[in-house]
Amino acid sequence: MKKFYSLMAIVLLASMFLSACSGAAPAASNTAPDCTKAFCVGDVTDVGHVDDKSFNQSTWEGVQQAKKDGNADWVQYVETADSKDYAKNIATFADAGYKVIVTTGFNLTDPTYAAAKKYPKTLFIGVDQFISKDTNHPDWPLPNLVGLVYNEDQSGFLVGALASMMSKAHSIGGVFGTDAVPPVWRYGEGYRAGAAYEDKKNGTTTTVTNVYHNDVGFDKTFTDPTWGATTAQSMIDKGADVIFGGGGLTGNGAVDKAAADKVLAIGVDSDQYYTLPEADPYLLSSALKPLTAPTATLIGTAKAGKFPTTGLSFGAAGYAPYHDVASKVPANVDAEMQALVKGLTDGSIKTNVPPVKPQ
Amino acid sequence: MQRSDEPGSAKNLGQWLNPLLVPLLAIVTAIICGGLIIQAAGGDPIAAYRGLIQGSFGSPQALSETAVWATPYIFAGLAVAFAFKGGLFNIGAEGQLAFGAVSAALIGYALPGWLHTSLPAYIHIPLAVGCGMLAGAIWGGIPGALKAYTGGHEVINTIMMNYIALNITSFLLNGPMRDPDPLNLSARTPEIAPSARIPPLFNIPDMRVHWGFILALLVAVLIWWLLWKTTLGFEIRTVGANPDAAKYAGINVKRIITITMAISGALAGLAGAIEVTALNYRHELGFSSGYGFDAIAIALLGKTNPYGVILAAILFGAMRNGATRMQFLTQIPIDIISVIQALMLLFVAADAIIRFIYHIRVDEERVVLTRGWGG
Amino acid sequence: MDWRRFAIILFVIVIMFGTVVLIGVSQNSPLVIITSMIATTIAVATPLTLGALCGLYCERAGVVNIGIEGTMLGAAFFGWLASIYMNTIFHFPAMPSLIVGVIAAILTGGLFALLHAVLSITFKVDQIIGGTVINILAAGITGFLNRQLFFGAGSVFHGQIPNAPGVLPTLRVPFLADIPIIGRIFEQQPIAISAIALVIITQFVIFNTRWGLRTRAVGEHPRAADTVGINVIRMRYLNVIIGGFMAGLGGAYFTLESISSFEANMTNGRGFIALAAMIFGNWTPFGAWSAALVFGAAQALQINLQFFRTLIPPQLAVLQNSYVVGLAPYLLTMLILTGLIGKTIPPAADGKPYEK
Repeated sequence: MKKFYSLMAIVLLASMFLSACSGAAPAASNTAPDCTKAFCVGDVTDVGHVDDKSFNQSTWEGVQQAKKDGNADWVQYVETADSKDYAKNIATFADAGYKVIVTTGFNLTDPTYAAAKKYPKTLFIGVDQFISKDTNHPDWPLPNLVGLVYNEDQSGFLVGALASMMSKAHSIGGVFGTDAVPPVWRYGEGYRAGAAYEDKKNGTTTTVTNVYHNDVGFDKTFTDPTWGATTAQSMIDKGADVIFGGGGLTGNGAVDKAAADKVLAIGVDSDQYYTLPEADPYLLSSALKPLTAPTATLIGTAKAGKFPTTGLSFGAAGYAPYHDVASKVPANVDAEMQALVKGLTDGSIKTNVPPVKPQ
Repeated sequence: MQRSDEPGSAKNLGQWLNPLLVPLLAIVTAIICGGLIIQAAGGDPIAAYRGLIQGSFGSPQALSETAVWATPYIFAGLAVAFAFKGGLFNIGAEGQLAFGAVSAALIGYALPGWLHTSLPAYIHIPLAVGCGMLAGAIWGGIPGALKAYTGGHEVINTIMMNYIALNITSFLLNGPMRDPDPLNLSARTPEIAPSARIPPLFNIPDMRVHWGFILALLVAVLIWWLLWKTTLGFEIRTVGANPDAAKYAGINVKRIITITMAISGALAGLAGAIEVTALNYRHELGFSSGYGFDAIAIALLGKTNPYGVILAAILFGAMRNGATRMQFLTQIPIDIISVIQALMLLFVAADAIIRFIYHIRVDEERVVLTRGWGG
Repeated sequence: MDWRRFAIILFVIVIMFGTVVLIGVSQNSPLVIITSMIATTIAVATPLTLGALCGLYCERAGVVNIGIEGTMLGAAFFGWLASIYMNTIFHFPAMPSLIVGVIAAILTGGLFALLHAVLSITFKVDQIIGGTVINILAAGITGFLNRQLFFGAGSVFHGQIPNAPGVLPTLRVPFLADIPIIGRIFEQQPIAISAIALVIITQFVIFNTRWGLRTRAVGEHPRAADTVGINVIRMRYLNVIIGGFMAGLGGAYFTLESISSFEANMTNGRGFIALAAMIFGNWTPFGAWSAALVFGAAQALQINLQFFRTLIPPQLAVLQNSYVVGLAPYLLTMLILTGLIGKTIPPAADGKPYEK
């Protein structure tokens, strides 16, 4: 009897992996070339997975794009499991002779700076890593380190303005990860500022409610779509008719729920028309923080020997096209949006959002 | 009643080797199964394991990193194992660790300012680490006292305390304890004073292994001594094995339960304190890899024995550390590590399966951890 | 049923709702606020209730199950996978695909529970270990497969997640749902309704049927039960598997009712909260459900206080701090549990493997 049960237990376990067996394509592709000779590019993610449908994934896609463009012979990623691995993960690439290393996320700012000093022949691209000259970073700007930074508040401003103009009930909501992460907070406050700007211009009053997922740990705050959905539903029940989902997978949950409730939704970071197809009928736009193309471009400059030495490279703010919702957007709203983009770019319009949440 | 759970009582090599045989085979079997899964998913198991071993043991730097990973695992694993020995399930290691870290950081960066003097290292370090332990002890002692005196189950209370600790530390790190440097964007404390830092073992760059690792090994021996060579330890183990018998033997069960949880919490707090004083030199609200739950698996894998916990902690630390290189060489998702760890735990625990496969007869007492939820 | 405990919980929930109503009344009418909070409460409580019921079936029969978290996660993944396969590969329409998904989730729950049963009952592996194994295994398998199947050009689906067939439709109670504003409470999705129904059914089954009596006998005094001719092993197996079905349904909530996608580790500790709810409820269905409702209400409180942040009067400024509000449900649980209710009494033979 015991033998039968043991066998059953093993069969049970084996049956779990059925999907893996059935027609899985090979996971590991070619083996790496000698990176001291070839032009290899490495990507170190922030804590989390590379298939997170947002941040880490977009950067990795940019790196892959560079390979497609012919600017890299070999690309590879390493996922960080814990913040104490940052230096080790960067070193894994650097010691193997990788020419360019992309590190994702502002938590990697200091480890990347330290690595850039330690490996002067390797080029580093720090996504979302803002550095300026100070006591902690006396040698900045370094010739081999560029921070790819964004004005999330501007992208948030744009979609906030759009949302307030499109909201019939004059009530809009935003569902975010934790506001302890500055880019997230900037999105939220930019959203609020954009709505306020349009209110002032049009004489309306739009209620803007932002809810941040502060009640769980960092490891959960961006990966809790169920909470995002529940929060979005709560807002919709109270009359909000545009929902901005700005927090990785948590925000995705909010966007999905809004679309399921036939309420306009706004995505974040990339044009989520493509990553959240189930929300397409109601996806008004996305607050853009284009990571893919600028990453690919920067790698291209590295390959061409024209790596920027100014230390920072600013990505453009923007908003995604309306796609399926275009017919619902009046012409004057669209014109206003174009004017806002111009105003933000040439500096005539300011969001007045501080870089970090004030204490 | 446990019979052969005390190590060091070996009469001959066979008696010493036997308890290790099944766990070793279990681990080997789990590794083989893991290899089969990788194969089935289209990866190359040999390359994967080569990467894993290279990354964890293949160079002095790798060994150093493995030790760095293992240190908090040893402390946290001891915490959970200690509680198990007392018949209690401490799921709250995560919260106790957080409080330990926050307290140690506070003493580390603020104490010289409060006292308007700089402190020598031999005072500052013990103070910082000691406060971390104390904070952990309090955070563990509260659910212990609640269980002892009101019957409230420690599983719920420790889970709740985890979330409460999370919110309190978030509040502190975003508010009063936040690094005031204008260019700081993160929720973190200022760096602790140099006098509060535990030095690394070697003065070689890239080798971060520190004296905290040695401390962890020493503490494990201390816990062994406490449990098997002191009256308190005897009382704790008796309450763990049979609370009713303990009561009739005159042991103050309520007091023992509280003390057990407090010590368990202190160990977890120590994990956090050491991470702050020896590795990061500050505390940051970061992405943690869930030490609390790993600690449960480590305590179980080590059969709640302090030496077993050391080995299990090093094993887990090696796997987590080596996963990077494995992924670097083969691009296999690091989730496979979790599957292999689960299988290890499974096979170690269900030794009947291993015995069946390898036709071993081992007459070892089964370690019983679950006493149900009975108060 | 412990009426005193119920009364306290009801009181707490009323206080939470009342606070939000008072704060937000200038922006939304009280009815709107209450309705919205009830909706949130039910949404949050659904998986917790089902998870607690899982624990309940297992533990009333004497088997400790801390693997609820892993079971729900596994069920969420495989249920979702099944619905996608049906919809995209076999080209079934949405509703049948979803139903197949729910069934697959329930069966997956049963399968994980079977593993736990085999380990705990037959191999007499310590039940804590068994549960831990399931949690780690589920997290690893689902994360691994999620990656292998959907990520990257080399994956089975070539990096594109196939369209999921949406979520389960909202059902309406015929007359009640037409009441303005509060009618919203009577529009619920199937799993949420099932959770409430299962609480009532479980209460009846465990305490008013012969099956329930046998189950409890097996959980309290297995040797005595054995003497009277009850097959202890069989009863334990069956109850654990039923518990697995409950958790499976709970897992289905995440990917088939709440939203239509899967993310790694999306259960996020809710399985452990469910465990706490079960203990809090003193191993009774209504008790566990009430605990789940407290958590749901607390989360509603947290969301709504942020929602009405600007309206919070200065005297209550502490409520503006999301961390203070965030720890409220947990603190509340501890206080209620230890301060007012005290000792919880588990089934006497809970956790002890049965030796014939």
